[in-house]
Amino acid sequence: MSSGSEARIVGAGEATYERHPAVERRTETFIAESVVAALADAGVDHGEVDGFGVASFSLAPDHAVDLAWKLGLTVNWLMEDTNGGASGVNMLQHAVRAIEAGDAETIVLAAGDRMEKREFHLMTDRYNRVARDYLAPLPLNGPNALFAFLTERYSRAHGLEREDWACVPISQRAWATKNPGAVYRSPMTFEEYLDSVPIAPPLTRYDCVPIVSGGDAIVVTSAERAERLGGPSAGVRAIRSLYNPDQQDGDGINTGFAAIRDDLWAAAGVRPEDVEAAFIYDDYPVMVLVQLGDLGLIPEMDVKRYLHQTLGEEGWPMNTSGGQLSAGQAGAAGGLHGIVEATRQLRGEAGERQVDGLELALATGYGMVLYTHGASHNAAVLERHG
Amino acid sequence: MTVAECPVCGYLAYPPRILCPNCGGNEWRKRLAGSGVVTEVTVRRPVFKRRQLPWGNWLDQEATRLAAVQSDVGVRIVARVPEGVEVGDRVALVQQGSTAIALPGHEVEAVPLGEEPAARVNPPLSDWPGRQEGE
Repeated sequence: MSSGSEARIVGAGEATYERHPAVERRTETFIAESVVAALADAGVDHGEVDGFGVASFSLAPDHAVDLAWKLGLTVNWLMEDTNGGASGVNMLQHAVRAIEAGDAETIVLAAGDRMEKREFHLMTDRYNRVARDYLAPLPLNGPNALFAFLTERYSRAHGLEREDWACVPISQRAWATKNPGAVYRSPMTFEEYLDSVPIAPPLTRYDCVPIVSGGDAIVVTSAERAERLGGPSAGVRAIRSLYNPDQQDGDGINTGFAAIRDDLWAAAGVRPEDVEAAFIYDDYPVMVLVQLGDLGLIPEMDVKRYLHQTLGEEGWPMNTSGGQLSAGQAGAAGGLHGIVEATRQLRGEAGERQVDGLELALATGYGMVLYTHGASHNAAVLERHG
Repeated sequence: MTVAECPVCGYLAYPPRILCPNCGGNEWRKRLAGSGVVTEVTVRRPVFKRRQLPWGNWLDQEATRLAAVQSDVGVRIVARVPEGVEVGDRVALVQQGSTAIALPGHEVEAVPLGEEPAARVNPPLSDWPGRQEGE
């Protein structure tokens, strides 16, 4: 495999996800803890960082430069990303080019939020002007109802029942039992899933992410520096992004991922069937299936077979941290969560849930509901080096 | 209720945009979108049972019946619907609320009519007349 960029992810860290953090633990606290953990994982000194990118829903009135200052960083490259679930892959796409161009050599990318009741309502009611003016007054109270519509639409298109949908959260929960950082860690049965509390039918509790506070971070550097650091790293074979492909006119279940698919795999020099593990942005099970399908990972679009056999019986490694559905969604950290887990897996640091011999992985980002569905789509093909 | 229509190419937008995604035009006129068909329905439970308003007091939250409605003119509308409205029902689309400070926003409400569904959506942008190639 000779494709790919000259940048490597050499470390990943997470601030432990918490359901009800103490008052003094703020957004910047969680992000800072994830940065410290990622630098320690990479074996990179704080003073060697010359680039910083951050994504958060609750950093205001601070911005990237305020946080960089509070973290004691002097940098040549600075970025603040506002793409929510697509922020992680987007920051990585920019960081890779900055490193290749020589604008920076060692970049820390971080995301996180303190997300309690107050912050959650501030985020969802003022998500954007349209949410504030057209959705929140319904009242909508967050995106659950919109994804209930998409789930219904997808069920009709592919003939799915609740028993089929169960496979996504149940298979991810099986992985979460091996992740001490997940907030849901006990195995889930079909009965538990089918009996769970309705949230916005057909969505029930386990179709929705547990809202947590936390942070995620990675360290990206040049291939040359990665070799000096030694040990395995995650290389970037290709990243593709697409924003507003349908101007919100589409049905939300045929997405921009289909439009970037061919270009992504051609640029990566591999095929979807070569991927050995996937880290899919999982705000809801429907978006997991939409992304896997649109990116070509569901053979012949036999969704039922994929759910019951590939994810169920075979336990194919998809969202091995348990994903956001089991580990929790810490606001914008959800956009980096999959890349952090992919990095741990590719570096052989995933402990009990380590996928043996993993060489090639896919990580995706999706988000920013403008009116009826997400507008931001991106995907990264990552490979193991060293 | 009304949606925005581009007078140059006929593109329909709801919520309104600034520039037309089809032709780039920056003028809009109102077009009546008075009816449609319910494509999905849900009853949304509150994420948190109580919430604090910006001025401090707590508000008990209630479940809300919501629908995705395919309006007859083409655009998809997220609407509150009363009990009894189901998938496939024809509905009238009514704008409710105002831009008054106490009730910001542009709520829409669907009301049952009881006729057969008929719907179309904005076709893909590439299929619209006047779309410039090579963009």
